[in-house]
Amino acid sequence: MKIYYKATYTYKIFRAFQAEFESFVSTLGRIVGYGLEFFCGLKNFPTTVKEILFQCARFGVSSLPITLSIVGMTSVIVAMQVAGEMVKQGGGNYVGMLVSILMVREEGVIMSGFAIISMIGSSLASEIATMRVTEQIDAIQVLHVNPVHYLFTPRVIAGTIMMPLVVVISSAVGILGGAIASNLVSGLSYKAFFDSVWFGLNMHDLNVCIMKAISFGFVITLISCSCGMAAKDGAKGVGLATTKAVVWSFVAIVILDLIFAAACFY
Amino acid sequence: MGIEVKHLVKTFDKKVILDDISFKVDDGKILSIVGFSGSGKSTVLKLISGLLEKDSGEIVTTGGDIAMVFQYSALFDSLNVFDNISFALQERKDLRGKYTQKELRRIVAEKLELVGLSGIEEKFPSELSGGMQKRVSFARAIVTEPKIILYDEPTAGLDPISSTLIEDYIVRLKNETHAASIVVTHQMSTIRRTADSVLMLYNGHAVFEGTPEELCREETPYTRQFVEAAIDGPMKMN
Repeated sequence: MKIYYKATYTYKIFRAFQAEFESFVSTLGRIVGYGLEFFCGLKNFPTTVKEILFQCARFGVSSLPITLSIVGMTSVIVAMQVAGEMVKQGGGNYVGMLVSILMVREEGVIMSGFAIISMIGSSLASEIATMRVTEQIDAIQVLHVNPVHYLFTPRVIAGTIMMPLVVVISSAVGILGGAIASNLVSGLSYKAFFDSVWFGLNMHDLNVCIMKAISFGFVITLISCSCGMAAKDGAKGVGLATTKAVVWSFVAIVILDLIFAAACFY
Repeated sequence: MGIEVKHLVKTFDKKVILDDISFKVDDGKILSIVGFSGSGKSTVLKLISGLLEKDSGEIVTTGGDIAMVFQYSALFDSLNVFDNISFALQERKDLRGKYTQKELRRIVAEKLELVGLSGIEEKFPSELSGGMQKRVSFARAIVTEPKIILYDEPTAGLDPISSTLIEDYIVRLKNETHAASIVVTHQMSTIRRTADSVLMLYNGHAVFEGTPEELCREETPYTRQFVEAAIDGPMKMN
């Protein structure tokens, strides 16, 4: 009898893992499928420029304040932690380089990515999921309009265009915040800080930063729209779709970040 | 000819939802599909409109557009009434750019007048009552002059007076468009006021087919139970 219970328990765990794996594979397949459909729709370019501009405004205006706050504060924290110590050890000339490389290569883009996922990705997923469970997407289909082309195209294009702008602005604000914090904490002059920034940063860093931002913007919006599109079962389904969009986007941009780091800096 | 469905079968996860369903609706006629919740009524509409794939069987139509009115209207809540109604004309690949803004305004005004809602083009769905939303969804459905109109529980959630109004508009649209219409409902008033013929489904099977008068007269246990809304009878609620 004891053995029977153990076997049942093990079987349940196995089934749970199997269900998770199947869900993972089907979600991945769905995202790839929608991605391909998005590209197929681009040749007809069905979306009006007005709708893309509306989505760009939504993307930039609503995300910029929180993105600037997060990236700016991260930079200030880093500068506060390292500037005093480095100046004491005679490395004051390297503070600007350290902060700017950190901002442009990593923190600016990844923190902006996290902020965009929280603000825009979740909003896109819940918006499209609500349309799905209230039959609005069925209505689009019945009216012979492709819902992937109609809904995804302006959102994904806006994400891909706006993300680099948000990242460049937030990274610049981050570097500025680092300069101010370094000056206040350790008395490091602005000139010394920015001399170090020019010395440390190069075009390669900036190019990689922009490439990363473009890919993050594309991936976040595609995943968010895809998860929303697959929603079912009413309000609970909208919540699950939003959670899935956020988790998948987080994991995707960390994996992308790793790939960029390995491919571009080693 | 309108629409003809032959031996339609649909299963979900090995559960048979529709089993060998056949019926025909001529142009300018209304078929009411009735039955308890979960009997597969809405599935028939989704199969005809192409939202679901059938397992087997045949759906033959006269051609032209198939329009569908959804149970809770399914208006696009980010668009105003004008954009909702003209959506297909503005976004459909084969219609995009075919109409000028002035023509779109005229077509939308015509359709709104047909459903008794002139002058609400700039309002958003959230500013309209349930009955008005339903009538806007009627206007959206007929904007492409469809040959077949499908109504999924058009009076669900409406008060009796709004329901009567909606039923009148279903008949009016039939007369104006001469389309073949299918109305999924479980309300006897909708059947009496709109239908030319009735199909009753239970557990995926057709258990009655005839006119509304025959439905009321018929003495089979299924029709008696439905007409009298009796709990006891051959049809059990899931």
